[in-house]
Amino acid sequence: MKRVLALILFACLFAACLSAQELDPSHLLKSPTNDWPTYNGDYTGRRFSPLTQINRENVGSLTLAWAFQTHGRSLQSMPIEVNGIMYISAGNEIWAVDARNGRQVWHFARPGAPVGGGNKGVAMWKDRLYMTTPDAQLLCVDARSGKMLWQIQIDDPALKAFGGVAPLVIRDHIIVGTSGDTADLPGFLESVDPMDGKIQWRWDVMPKMDDPAWNTWPHDTDVVTRGGGMTWITGTYDPDLNLLYWGTGNPHPVENGDARAGANLYTCAIVALNPDTGKLVWYFQSSPHDTHDWDTVMTPVLFDGTFKGKPRKMLAQANKNGLFFVLDRTNGKSLISEAFVPANWVGGYDDRGQPIPRRDKEPQLDGVLVTGGVGTNWQAPSYDPETGLFYVNSRETMGVFYLTMPGKSAEGWAGRDFFLGSKSMLKAIDVQTGKVRWTADTEGRGGSSGILSTAGHLVFTADMSQNLVALDAATGKVLWHMYPGGSLGTGPMTYELDGRQYVIFLDDSVAYTFALPSHGVLAPRASH
Amino acid sequence: MKKFALVAGLVLGAVFLLKAQEGAAPSAPGPGGPGARNPAAEAARAAAADRGHALFKENCAACHAEDATGGRGPDLIRSTLVRHDKNGDLIGPVVVNGRVEKGMPPFSSLTSSQVSDIVAFLQSQLVLFDLHTRFGPYPNDIPAERLATGTVEAGKAYFDAHCSSCHSATGDLAGIAKKYNPPDLEVRFLYPSGTPSTAIVTLPSGEKFEGTLLLNDGFYVAIQGKDGWYHSWPASSVKIEVHDPLAAHAALLEKYTDADMHNLFTYLETLK
Repeated sequence: MKRVLALILFACLFAACLSAQELDPSHLLKSPTNDWPTYNGDYTGRRFSPLTQINRENVGSLTLAWAFQTHGRSLQSMPIEVNGIMYISAGNEIWAVDARNGRQVWHFARPGAPVGGGNKGVAMWKDRLYMTTPDAQLLCVDARSGKMLWQIQIDDPALKAFGGVAPLVIRDHIIVGTSGDTADLPGFLESVDPMDGKIQWRWDVMPKMDDPAWNTWPHDTDVVTRGGGMTWITGTYDPDLNLLYWGTGNPHPVENGDARAGANLYTCAIVALNPDTGKLVWYFQSSPHDTHDWDTVMTPVLFDGTFKGKPRKMLAQANKNGLFFVLDRTNGKSLISEAFVPANWVGGYDDRGQPIPRRDKEPQLDGVLVTGGVGTNWQAPSYDPETGLFYVNSRETMGVFYLTMPGKSAEGWAGRDFFLGSKSMLKAIDVQTGKVRWTADTEGRGGSSGILSTAGHLVFTADMSQNLVALDAATGKVLWHMYPGGSLGTGPMTYELDGRQYVIFLDDSVAYTFALPSHGVLAPRASH
Repeated sequence: MKKFALVAGLVLGAVFLLKAQEGAAPSAPGPGGPGARNPAAEAARAAAADRGHALFKENCAACHAEDATGGRGPDLIRSTLVRHDKNGDLIGPVVVNGRVEKGMPPFSSLTSSQVSDIVAFLQSQLVLFDLHTRFGPYPNDIPAERLATGTVEAGKAYFDAHCSSCHSATGDLAGIAKKYNPPDLEVRFLYPSGTPSTAIVTLPSGEKFEGTLLLNDGFYVAIQGKDGWYHSWPASSVKIEVHDPLAAHAALLEKYTDADMHNLFTYLETLK
């Protein structure tokens, strides 16, 4: 009898779970706790979790809860976790994994597609998953079964365009960007219908003739049509302002500025778009007339607060060009423009707070020494509203830039660069001043990994020696470390299930999930 | 060896920063996809590409450069038209008819098999360049004259003032310009990455170990000792003295002006 009752109970629970396992897009408006339902955990891009079970007092006892093997697939993605199921992606594959115990639910391998290639993560809308692929397709997969529902071509792989960016879901919009820097090709953002993939709108990074930005390009060549401005890292969203924020990549030819005199809008910019129409509302160009591959794709992080005594809706970005920006995200007006690593390419700032590039630090035929980049890269930073600190894995390095393809007909890279003597540091930047509050640089405590901060007063990341680490969010002191044998492909994330908080790191081809030792039924068998 | 690279990166090494966009690209499958290799067809393609190279050199290189990266004419490696070409369907008409409005004359005397060979050459160049977009050999052969824009005198003066305490133009650096191609020479004198640090580790007992530093991450220290054996200790239990042979290069790297770099190259390039 007991057994029958248990079975009935189980069946009911199972049914309840099924209907509850969908992701309502409005769920993305909340701070992540039980779930990590989108690339950045929520729309703000802060990668801050309000969870406190793991905190600075107890993090030292963190232990492995479970690990999931992809058996050799290199993971560069952010997993998402919705209603107890984690979705991990790579190339043309997705694994659905029980987020409680690491057991595989299903494995999707796109039929006929090659194994391998990078992917930054999947997006979820109701009972569907979306991912972009190495051959620049957008796939839609049934989250229950792992069966593919449809695929659409997003960009031209013949021009070496590729996918990988995790799409962003805003209501009934699936928003995707594009990647590629071999041939000159123009970047864009596209919004498609979640049901059938039909294009709802497309925003081109390259301006049209009727746009004032058209005049930030020369017109004696067709360079304005050729491109750059790849949109290869997921943006953020403010539901109150109904603005989508996204960073755009560098212009082409990459290291030849003579071929494209002018600011080259809307490359190397943070843009604010209306997500329903794709119309540009404002832009802030973080590298006008870029000649060093200073993409601006780093996450635009959103937070509210008081700035110089005035309440502000803010947006902060630590840029690849070595500069930290804080903007008023209602209008793109600059609040702070400040270098977080030496940046000798900056000749000053214009009245909008945009840097003015030094002409003599553009790539030269006989080489030129440039600092500032790669100050940080695409791996996500984190903002902790409790400390008011913006955490970024930074790098000080000396670049030597050669112009190898001079003249106005140059295409592609058109130059060559070397980065020498890198010094990596995790920096905590005060968003009120743009000044670095603390730097964790002893023994290389900073890497190129993404970052998670939590209300447990912790910052999780990996260091240059490939240790996973937890630091005190206020001071940078190391409180926990673990060498997992590989390297962290992206940033950590966290969620709570059955009252237990987990922290997940995708390290090489393995998902490692850590938690505090449990003394209940979930506890590992005690050793005697 | 991986450990060496890791330590170099940690202590102050040269890191060629992998661009994630590239990391996301799949490895290109071979013609016909993986597992569909056909040695005879590949040999035929290679022979056609060789013939095409000669034809390209004769007819096209003056404007498009011998490697097709462009000069007076466009870079064909990055060309949308070339990328979309299938067996000459797009390239062929441009070669035969020219693009007179853009200053390219017709090459109507080329036979269709010659055009096919040129197409085969371009395809082989695309494969080459896609493999070496940014971090490969291209274009490592920047000519010395292009980099030697300083003066030998100023370069020698800089060398005498800043380098001669460790290096000698007639000793360890004799013939250095013969050993490296121009950009390698320049990048190496700026920062000769890959040289590992050494460390002396002192145990609580006073016993000392000395060797090549393999790991020093704040948690553990590991060396390869002079006895050839690997040794490691918890970092907190020992005293660690690190000697970075590149420390002087790192200090100079922050101080070089562009003119210093050009002068020093111009001088070192004379050491043949």
